[in-house]
Amino acid sequence: MSVAAFVIATFTAPQELGTNPQSIFMLLPLTAAIAVIYKATKLPTITAGNFIKETATLFGSIVVFIAITALTLYALAWLITE
Amino acid sequence: MERRSRENHALFLLIAGLLAWLIPGAGYFLLKEKKRAIIIFVTIMLTFCTGLYVGSIGIIDPVAAKPWYVAQIMNSPMVAILGHISSGGGFPVYGRANEVGHIYTGIAGLLNLLCIVNTVYLAHQQRVEWSRD
Repeated sequence: MSVAAFVIATFTAPQELGTNPQSIFMLLPLTAAIAVIYKATKLPTITAGNFIKETATLFGSIVVFIAITALTLYALAWLITE
Repeated sequence: MERRSRENHALFLLIAGLLAWLIPGAGYFLLKEKKRAIIIFVTIMLTFCTGLYVGSIGIIDPVAAKPWYVAQIMNSPMVAILGHISSGGGFPVYGRANEVGHIYTGIAGLLNLLCIVNTVYLAHQQRVEWSRD
């Protein structure tokens, strides 16, 4: 099978993704993409150091906010059901 | 004279917007923002291809998943070709792969929409600054 046929084949069949707790980590690449694009559109001038610092800060703050929200919802669910 | 300049301005904004839609980041390239263009092209393509890899081209479904398709087509009009290929139902996809694939490709499209709007805004600003000088 040629390389091109192999590459095309990987896009014609879905991957196996389990519904396990680890699948939550699928949000990390998406969060990184959002942070990169947002900062690429908002920064007036792009320099490597500044761009990486700003993107990492935004990425971190989104992840921390999601974690806090998840913990709050988990605590609420625990309080209601216990 | 002023009317013609206004028409040229509108045409420039339209070209910048269309170019940004045709190839993610190409609008910034037109505005000589090469770093921004490369970052946006690579990030949007990676996000979109990750979605396609996880869910297969079956996630681009203009018939059964129309709202997602509207977001996906913001990546590029070339998504319509994939939609045409997959609309026959030859690439069924269910479950978590379907969800993740839709989310990745849809978000990539919406991020490109943000870039298109920003490109048009920057193009407008550049033209206004040039006319002042």
